[in-house]
Amino acid sequence: MENTKKMLVFCGSDDAHKSFPPFMLGCGAQAMDMELTLFFTLSGLNIIRRGYAERIQLPGAPKTLPEFLKIAKENGASFIACSAAFPILGIKGDDFIEGVEYGGVAEFVSLAEEADVVLTFC
Amino acid sequence: MSSIELRAVQAAKVVDARGSACPGPLLEAKKAIGSVPVGQTIEVWSGDASTKNDLPKWAAKVGHEFLGFLAGEGYDRIFITRRK
Repeated sequence: MENTKKMLVFCGSDDAHKSFPPFMLGCGAQAMDMELTLFFTLSGLNIIRRGYAERIQLPGAPKTLPEFLKIAKENGASFIACSAAFPILGIKGDDFIEGVEYGGVAEFVSLAEEADVVLTFC
Repeated sequence: MSSIELRAVQAAKVVDARGSACPGPLLEAKKAIGSVPVGQTIEVWSGDASTKNDLPKWAAKVGHEFLGFLAGEGYDRIFITRRK
């Protein structure tokens, strides 16, 4: 839809207090008919590594992180893994959950330019 | 809508989101409103203090009608009519 507002979230940490807000706010934005893109970089990449989200826990949150990942995806979110951070983390980027795309700086900048809202958690 | 009028509202669906913190009730409201016909009302129960402020904002943004809320015992009953 042409008039759909876009939210882009920079997920730069696997700290629980920084891993959950992108999904709490992002899923809320989807409920309010916004299009959501999550850009994962640095330790934030761990959120989308297979088997890692389960380990990031925030007692009292309404959903677990794997549940939030599923809800966001089901509602059409795009997950982008920052390939520039692969060597920093010592990963090859082949162990992500399904549906993750790769992107770099230019991808983030162009998404940020198009987005109506950009949030940063790092 | 006055609380007397709200008490008379027959909701097509009641969503018990009392065990869920923000944004749980919002996500449940979004799911529930899609399951009732246009013109029908859903009633969301929430123990989260911010839901009665959040749901009217969501409704206004996505084009549904917030009718009001009733304070229950430790939770709020929030009424929203599907308008599209």
